[in-house]
Amino acid sequence: MSSSANEAAARASAVSSMGQTIPTDAEVGHPEGVRWGMVVDLDRCTGCQACVVACQAENNIALNEEQRVLERRAKTWIRIERYWEGEFPNAKARFIPVLCQHCGNAPCETVCPVWATYHNNEGLNVQVYNRCIGTRFCANGCPYSVRYFNFWNPEWPEPMNNQLNPDVTVRTKGIIEKCTFCVQRINRAHVTAGNEGREIRSGEVQPACAQSCPTSALVFCDLNDPESAPAQLAEAEAGRSYTLLEHFGTDPGVIYLKKVDPHAEIHEDEHAHAEAHA
Amino acid sequence: MSGLGRRRFLVGSAALAGGATVVACAAPERESQVQSFVLQPELSLPGQELWFATTCAHSSCGNSVVVRTIDGRAKKVEGNPAFPTNQGKLNVRSQAGVQSLYHPDRLTVPRRRRGLRGANEFEDLEWPAGLDLLTEKMSEARSVVVITGPISGTRARIARDFATAFGGEHVVYETLESTVWRKTVQDGLGASRLPYLDIANAHSILSFGADFLSTWLSPTQYGVGYGEFRQGHGERGRLIQVEPRMSLTGANADSWVYVHPGQEGALALSIAQVIAAEGLAPPDNWFNVVSEVGGLDALNAYAPDRVSQRTGVPVERIQEIAREFASHQPGFAIAGGPALASTNGLDNGLAAMLLNHMVGSVGQPGGLLPNPTLRSTVTPPTEPTSFADLAGRGNTWLEGEPPDVAIVFEADPVYGMPEATRFADALGKIPFVVGIGTIMSETLGHSDLVLPSTHPFEEWGDYVPDPAPRQHVVGLQQPVVRPTTSGRSFGDILLTLWHDLRPNLAPPWETMRDAVRANAAEVFRGGDFEDRWVELLKNGGGWNDDWAPQFSAAPDWHINLLAEPAFSDNGIEFPLHLIPFEGVALGGGDETANPWLQATPDPISTATWTTWVEMNPSTAAALNLSRGDVVRIETAHGEFEAGVYISPAAAPGVLGVPIGQGHTFGGRWREDRGSNVLASLAPLTVAGSGGLAWAATRARVRPTGDYRQLPTIEVLPNARNDVEEVIVQVTNGNGDHHK
Repeated sequence: MSSSANEAAARASAVSSMGQTIPTDAEVGHPEGVRWGMVVDLDRCTGCQACVVACQAENNIALNEEQRVLERRAKTWIRIERYWEGEFPNAKARFIPVLCQHCGNAPCETVCPVWATYHNNEGLNVQVYNRCIGTRFCANGCPYSVRYFNFWNPEWPEPMNNQLNPDVTVRTKGIIEKCTFCVQRINRAHVTAGNEGREIRSGEVQPACAQSCPTSALVFCDLNDPESAPAQLAEAEAGRSYTLLEHFGTDPGVIYLKKVDPHAEIHEDEHAHAEAHA
Repeated sequence: MSGLGRRRFLVGSAALAGGATVVACAAPERESQVQSFVLQPELSLPGQELWFATTCAHSSCGNSVVVRTIDGRAKKVEGNPAFPTNQGKLNVRSQAGVQSLYHPDRLTVPRRRRGLRGANEFEDLEWPAGLDLLTEKMSEARSVVVITGPISGTRARIARDFATAFGGEHVVYETLESTVWRKTVQDGLGASRLPYLDIANAHSILSFGADFLSTWLSPTQYGVGYGEFRQGHGERGRLIQVEPRMSLTGANADSWVYVHPGQEGALALSIAQVIAAEGLAPPDNWFNVVSEVGGLDALNAYAPDRVSQRTGVPVERIQEIAREFASHQPGFAIAGGPALASTNGLDNGLAAMLLNHMVGSVGQPGGLLPNPTLRSTVTPPTEPTSFADLAGRGNTWLEGEPPDVAIVFEADPVYGMPEATRFADALGKIPFVVGIGTIMSETLGHSDLVLPSTHPFEEWGDYVPDPAPRQHVVGLQQPVVRPTTSGRSFGDILLTLWHDLRPNLAPPWETMRDAVRANAAEVFRGGDFEDRWVELLKNGGGWNDDWAPQFSAAPDWHINLLAEPAFSDNGIEFPLHLIPFEGVALGGGDETANPWLQATPDPISTATWTTWVEMNPSTAAALNLSRGDVVRIETAHGEFEAGVYISPAAAPGVLGVPIGQGHTFGGRWREDRGSNVLASLAPLTVAGSGGLAWAATRARVRPTGDYRQLPTIEVLPNARNDVEEVIVQVTNGNGDHHK
C-alpha cells in the first residue's frame, strides 16, 4: 500500500463536494482495526473467468445481454482485462482481474453529493443503494472504471428469479453499483464471531470470486493482520507487489503481484500498454 | 429419504459460505406447498440456508459442489473443499449451474412431434401419455440405440445394460471427443485409464495444443495444480505451449510456439532428437526407449534443420524448447486440441508421449502418474464412441438398417456432427426417436417424442471422475431442490421402461436412488452402511487410495508411423486452415442456452454472444477486412458467417473460430445466434483412432460487405484511449521489472 507523502497530503486535504472533510484511515478505524483487502497474483491468474461468473451468481448482477455489451453497459463487478503485447509470433496476452480497489483514499467518495458512497471502518468502499441518486459522479471519478450505472431495471424471467441471493439487494434503475467484497458474507461472519464472543478472523470469510478461483490467484485478507497468509505473501513477494495506477494516490486495498515472464525483455521505458488492441 | 432420520445428522449442519463443507443429504419435501408456520416441513426453516453436496454432472466437468439452498431454492454453487479433484474450486460452467436449473425455457412436460422432423412443431402431452407412447414403441422394437453424452457410474451402467437388454447398444457422443488422447495413453503408457498429471510438482510442462486451463479434460483440477506449479514451490514451473492457434493455455505460457497444423508430432520428435543429440537427459532414460520406437537413425531424420521448414519453427527455437524442457525436470509433455485433431493426430500424441519416456517423467512425481484401476463394481466412465464409428452407424442407418428406436440423452450429434456425414438424415431413418433433456437441442428437435429430464440438482446419480486424482473416487449426486418441472431423470425413465417391458431382465432397483445407493454399498463396504451412506452424501462421495498399475516402459509405436497430415481439399482453392476451438464458457455448445455463459467473455478476444473469426492482421489486410466485418467462411463441405476479430496472436493463414453457436433450438438465449462451425468441417478421421480430425479442414474467406459491431468488453466503459498506463506489470524473475 502506498504511504507516500503526496498521498498523505492528498488524503489530509480531501474535501467532499459538500464541504465535509473526508476522514482519514486512522479516523475510520484502521490501521488499528481490520482493513479488508485482496492479493491478486497475476502469475497464478489464467484469465479463466470463474471469478466473473461466481460474482454474478453471488451478487444478483443483472444479465448482460448482447445489447448491453454492445452499448458498453454490461455490469461485471469483477472483470478480466486482457492486454496484448507484441505481434505474431511473439504476441503475448496479459490478464488482470479488475474489481473495485476499495481505495483508502477513494476518488469516488469525495464526489458523491449525498454520501451514497463512503468508507467504512473496515476499509470497505461502501455503496448505499437507497441513498444513491444517480449522478454518476463517482463512476466518472473512478480511475479503475469499476462502478456501474443501472440504465434499466434488471429482469430475471421467471423462474430464474429463484436463484437470486436473498442476502443481496437487487439494484434498480438509476443507481450505481459495484463490488462490495461480498459484504454480506463479511457481515454474516461478524454475526458468527459475535455469537461466539470473539473477533472476526482473517481467512474466515471469502468473497465469491476468491472462493471460486481454481488457481488461488485471488486471496482475500485483512491487510492489517500481519499474521494472515496473504499479508505474509505480499510481504514475501515485495519485489512483485504493486497497486494499480499507484500514482493517483488512491491507496488501493487490492495488491497485485506482478506477472512473471522469464523471457520478458525489460527495458526502462517498456510498458504493458493499457490500450486494448483493437 | 424418509426413514433416514435426516434431522439426526443435520444437527449443526447449517454453515456459512466461505468453503464450509457442511452438507445435508436431501431436498426438503413439500417445500413449494403452503405450510403451517408453526409446523414447518423438515429442513425448511424460513431464511435458513442449507448446503447440499452433489456432483455437477450437467457440464461434463464432474466437479463436486456444495449448493446453498434457502427456502427450497438453490442460490449458489461452490466447490466442495473435501473433494479430491476440484478441491473447493470451480470453473465458469459449474458456477452457472443454478441458472440452467431455473432456466425459463426448460422443458416442463413431454412433447410429441406434430410436423416434420426438425420443424419444431410439437404438442404437449401428459406424462402417462408420453410414457405409454414410448412403451408402445419400445415393445414393438427389435433393436434400440441409446445415445448419450459422456456419462459414468450407475447412470452409464443402466444405459449400457438397458441397451443390451433391448437388443441394442449404448453409444457415447462427445462433441470434440477424447478418443485420440485415450488411445495415445493406451499405446503410449499401456494404461487403460487416463493418467494423473502432477502439475503442482512439475517444473516444466510441454503441451502440444492441450488447452488444460480452459476445456481440456479436467480444467478445474488442472487449474488447482497450475497455481502451485507457478508459485507454490521453490522453482517456478515453465509452461511451453505449441499450437497453431493461441488457446487460453497458450496465452498463459512462458513460451508460446506456433507450429503448422498437423506438424506437432514432427516438432516433438525434433525436440526428442535434440535431447538425444545434446545429451540433455541421461542416456539410461532414453536410449532403450528410442531403440524401441525406431532407433537413433529414425530420430535423426527429425533433426531441427530437417523439420524447421515443415513445422514452421526455427531451428534455434526447437533447440531452445528442448533445452528448456529437459533442464527443468521433473516435467511432462501432453498433447490435445488440434495436435490430436489432425489426420496424423494419434502419432502426434505418441511422439509427445515419447518425450515423457525420454526425460524419465513417466510414473514419477512431477510427471504422469497412474490412476487406480477401477473396481469391477463401478462402471468406468463410458468410453466415447469415435467419430468414424458413429458416422459409420449413420451410414448403415441411411442404407436401410436403422434400429427401431433411438433414445438420446445429453448428446447433440445433430448439432455436432459435420453436415457431410448426413447424421440428421440418418437419425431420420430411425422410425422412433425419443429425446430426453432439460432444454431443446438440435437432436431433440429432430425427435418424435421429447421427455423433460430433471436437472442434475434435482436427481440422484453418481460420477466417476476421469482423469481421477490418483485415488479411487466416486462422486455422489443427490437432489438439492425439489424438481421445478415435471421432468424425470434419465435413469428413472429407463428403469421404468425396463421393469414394464422386460421385468425378468430388469435390475433389482426400481429407482435411480435405489440403484445409486446399492452401487455405493458395493463400492464402499464396511461397517454400518446406513451411517456410511449418510457420510458419503455429506462428503459428496467417497474416495480412497488404491493400487495403480505401472505404465509401460516405452510407447507401443514406431517413429516411422508418423505421417504427413492430410487436409481437406487443395490449398489453392481453400488456402486457409480452419481451427475450431472450444471456449472456456460455452465448450462444445451444450451450455449455450445459459445467459451467464453466453455473456462470459472469451479470454482471448473478450467477445460474447456471437461467432467470430480470429484473423491475423496480414490475412485481414490481404482481404481488405477490418474488425467487425462479416465474412462468409467457405469450406468444400459448407459455409457460415462470422465477424472478423483481428488478433495479434493469430497466425497468418489460420482462422480460429469458436464452437457453440448456430443453434435453431434451445430457448431465447441460444436460438438463431451466430454460426455452427462444426457443420462445415470435412469428415476426415484421425488414423488409428477414428476420431474426427476437426483441425484438418481448409477454408476460404469471402467478405459479405456487412458490418456488425463485435460484442466484446475489451474497450472498456469510460476507457481513456488517449492515456497509456501500466496495468499489467511484469517481472522476468531476475529482479527486473516493468516500470
